[in-house]
Amino acid sequence: MKLSSRAKAVSQSFFAIIIGLLIGSFLMIIFGFNPINAYYALFVGAFGTVTDVLETLAFAVPLMLTGLTFAVGVRAGLFNIGSEGQMYLGALAAVVIGGTLDLPFGLGVVCATLAGAFVSLLWSLTPAILKVTRGVHEVISTIMFNWIAFWLTTYLIVYHFGDPTSAERSIRVLPSSRYLILFEGSTLTTVIFVAVAYCVLVYFILWGTKVGYELRVEGSNPDAGRYAGVKVWKTTLLAFMLGGIASGLAGASQIIGRPPVWSFYATLGNVAGLGFDGLGVALIGRNHPIGVIAASIFFGALIQGSRYMQYNAGVYFELVRAITGIIIIALSVPEAITVLRRWVKK
Amino acid sequence: MTPKYRRAALKTSVLIIIVIIIIAGLVGGYYVMTSTTPTTITTTQTTTQSTTTITTATTTTTSVSTTTSASTTTATTTTTTTFTSTVRPIKIAVVSDIGGRGDLSFNDMAFKGGAEAEKDFGVEMVEIISEKESDYVPNLRTAASDPDVKLIVGVGYLLSDALAEVAPKFPDKFFAGIDTYAQSIIISKTNTYAPNLLDIAYEEHKGSALVGALAALTAIHYGKPYIGVVLGIEIPVLWKFEIGYKWGADWAIKWYQKKFGTTTVPGIGITPIKERVLWTYTGTFSDITKGYEAAKAMYAKDAVAVYNVAGPLGLGINQAIQEISKQKGLTTGPPFWIGVDADQDWINPGFILSSMMKRVDKGVYFSAKWVVENKFRDIVKGSNGSIVLGIGTKVAGETFEGISVSTLSDLDAFIQMGLDAEKLTGKKVLPMPPDEIKTVAKAMREAQPSWVWEGMDALQSEIRNGQVTVPLALTKDVVDYWRGQLG
Repeated sequence: MKLSSRAKAVSQSFFAIIIGLLIGSFLMIIFGFNPINAYYALFVGAFGTVTDVLETLAFAVPLMLTGLTFAVGVRAGLFNIGSEGQMYLGALAAVVIGGTLDLPFGLGVVCATLAGAFVSLLWSLTPAILKVTRGVHEVISTIMFNWIAFWLTTYLIVYHFGDPTSAERSIRVLPSSRYLILFEGSTLTTVIFVAVAYCVLVYFILWGTKVGYELRVEGSNPDAGRYAGVKVWKTTLLAFMLGGIASGLAGASQIIGRPPVWSFYATLGNVAGLGFDGLGVALIGRNHPIGVIAASIFFGALIQGSRYMQYNAGVYFELVRAITGIIIIALSVPEAITVLRRWVKK
Repeated sequence: MTPKYRRAALKTSVLIIIVIIIIAGLVGGYYVMTSTTPTTITTTQTTTQSTTTITTATTTTTSVSTTTSASTTTATTTTTTTFTSTVRPIKIAVVSDIGGRGDLSFNDMAFKGGAEAEKDFGVEMVEIISEKESDYVPNLRTAASDPDVKLIVGVGYLLSDALAEVAPKFPDKFFAGIDTYAQSIIISKTNTYAPNLLDIAYEEHKGSALVGALAALTAIHYGKPYIGVVLGIEIPVLWKFEIGYKWGADWAIKWYQKKFGTTTVPGIGITPIKERVLWTYTGTFSDITKGYEAAKAMYAKDAVAVYNVAGPLGLGINQAIQEISKQKGLTTGPPFWIGVDADQDWINPGFILSSMMKRVDKGVYFSAKWVVENKFRDIVKGSNGSIVLGIGTKVAGETFEGISVSTLSDLDAFIQMGLDAEKLTGKKVLPMPPDEIKTVAKAMREAQPSWVWEGMDALQSEIRNGQVTVPLALTKDVVDYWRGQLG
C-alpha cells in the first residue's frame, strides 16, 4: 500500500467515525439523552479500568478471527461469508474433544484447539471445491452451508453431546482443556495470543510468500493473474483454508477460552452472530490481517463500552444497539464501496 | 486541476473538523469530569451566568465558540442533576437474560418486582439487558462495580455460571438469582457456599397440582372425559409439572366425592384413572406448531382444558382453541386452556381458565426487602444460599410465597405489562381493550360453579397447612412410580 493511499484510508475512516458519532448524537438528542455523557460512558466503559480493557480484548478475540476469514477471502477475490457455520463446527469439535478426552493440561488445550481448527477447515473445503470444480458461487454455497452447520450443530448438542444435568447446553470442557484466565475477574484468556499469532501468520503468508502474492494478485486483478499464470484453484483453496482455520479458532476460543460457562449452549448462543460481525470487522480493518486486529479491538470496545452507555448514561438498550450499529456501518462504508466496486467490475 | 482543489478542500475541511472535535472534546471532557464530583448550587449558577456572557459576547464570531457554549449548557444540566441526587438511595440492579424486556413473562416480571420495590422501599432500580450470553459476566460486574448498588439480581437459570463467577469477587455486594443454581456450582468448587449469594427456586409442582385440580373439577362440571397438558422437552424440571398436575386432578376427584357424598363422579370420573390426563412432551420449547398439533388432538378427544407447560407453545394451544371457537361460534369456553409462569389470562379472555403463576417479581421484591432490612446475609446463612418460594413456604421463620393461581385482581398488572410491550414494540399485543378483557374474564369465572373454585382453594389451604404433600418428582424412579399410579 502506498503511503498516500494509506493516508487516504486513515482520513476516510476518521471522517466516517465522526459521521457515525454525529448521527448517533443526533439520535440521542431526539430521545432526550446527553450524547457527551453517553460517549464518555462508552469510552470509559471500554478503557476505564484494567478489567474493562481486558474485557474489551476478550470480545475482540473471536472477531479478529472471523474478520480474518472474510478479509482473506476478499484479498483472493472471494466473498466468503461462511465464517458463521465454520465457527459452529469449530466450537463443536473443541467442546467434544475438550469435554471427552482427559489429557494432561498443555496437550488437552492443544488438541481441542487443533480439533476446532481442523473440523472447521474441512467444513470450508466443500464450498471451496464446489467453487473450483463447478463454479458454484461462494456466496450461495456458504450461506447454505451456514444453515446446514447450524442445524447439524444444534442436533449434535441436543442429542449426542448434551449435558445430562442441564438440557440447555453441551457437556462441559474438562479443566485440562481450558485456556488459562489471564487476569482474575475478566473473561480474557491466553487464547488471545493464539488469535493474534494466527493473524500475524496470515499476514506473513499473504505478504511474504509466493503463493500469498499470487493470492493477492488474483484478488486485485484476475486478468493480470491469469496472464502471469496464477492458478486460480490454488489461491481459492488457500483462501478458504486460511479462513476456515481462522473461523475454527474463533469458535474454539469461545468454548475453551472464555469463562465461565466452558460449554456450548444448545441455542449456539455463545458464538451465534460472531461470524457475521466479522464482515464489519474486516471492512473496518481494510481487509488487512493487522488492520483486522485493530478493528476487532474497536469492535470489542463498542461491545464492552455500550453496557456502560446503558448503565451509566441510562440510554435505552435498543438505542445503544442502534448507535453502535450506526458507527459500525459508517466505518465500513468506505471499504465496502471499494469491495463492491471491484466486485461489480468483475 | 480540479482534483488538486478537491484535495485541498478535503484537507482543510478535515482540519477544521479535527479542531472542532478537539475543542469540543476538551470542553466536554472537562465538564463531565467536574460534574462527577457533586458541586453546590452556587457554582451551577455562576456557570450558567458565565455561559450566557460568553454566548452574548461571541454570537457574531466563529462556530467554535458556539460549540463551546453548547457543551457548557449541557454540562450545566449534568451538574444540577448530580447535585439533586446527592441523597443517594440504595440501588438494585436487575440483569436480564437474552429475552430482555417485552417478553411478557420472566424478564418483565422481574422488572415489575423491581418497580414494586422502588415504590415500597425507596430503592432505585437499574436495568441491564443482556444481548448475548457472553454479556452476563460483564453486565453483572458492571452493576456490582457501581458503589451505590447493593443488590444485583440475575434473572434466569442461564445466569448461574456468571453469578457463581462474579458474586465471590464482590463480597460486600449482595447477589440474588431467579431459578439459578449458582451456589451448587460454588459449593462443588470450594466446598462452601458464598455468603452474599441467594438462589431462588420455585415450587412449580404445587402450582401445577392446583391447576390440575381446577381442570379436573371443570371437567366434572361439564361432564367431559379428559383434561390435557402440553409439555416441552422432557427434562427433569418438567416432571415436576407433569406429576403435580396429575396428582392435583386425582385429588380433586376424591375431594368431589367427599364433598357431595357420592362415589359416582360424572365426566372425567367415569374415565379409568390412568387415562384421565392426556399428556404430550412435544420435544420443543419454540416450535409453536407442535403445541397446536398436540392441543388439537386433545381437544378432538373432548378434553375440557389443556395446561401449557411449554412457554411459547401456549400460543399454539391458543390457536387450536381459536379454531374451535370460530367453527362453533363460541365466545367462551369450554374448551379452555391454562396459562403458565405469568398471568396469561388476557391472551384470549373467556378461554383461559386461569394461570399457574410463578412469581418472579416476588423473588426480586423479597431480595430487595431483605437487603433494605439488612437481613440478606442471615437469610443466606440460614438456608445455605438457596431458598424456595412456593405455597406455605417459610424463609427464616416467616412466610414468603411465590406460587399462586391467577385471580381477577392479578389481571391489571399484566394488562399493564401488555400495554408497555405495545409501547415498546409498536405491535398490537392485547386482543381487546383492557376493560373488555376484564369484563370477559370475570364473566367466564362467574360462569363456573362456585364449588370449582372452592375445591381449588381447599387444596391450596391443605397444602399450606401441610395436610397433604404434593409429590415432587425429580428423578426417573419417582416419575415412573406416579405414572404407574395415575397414568
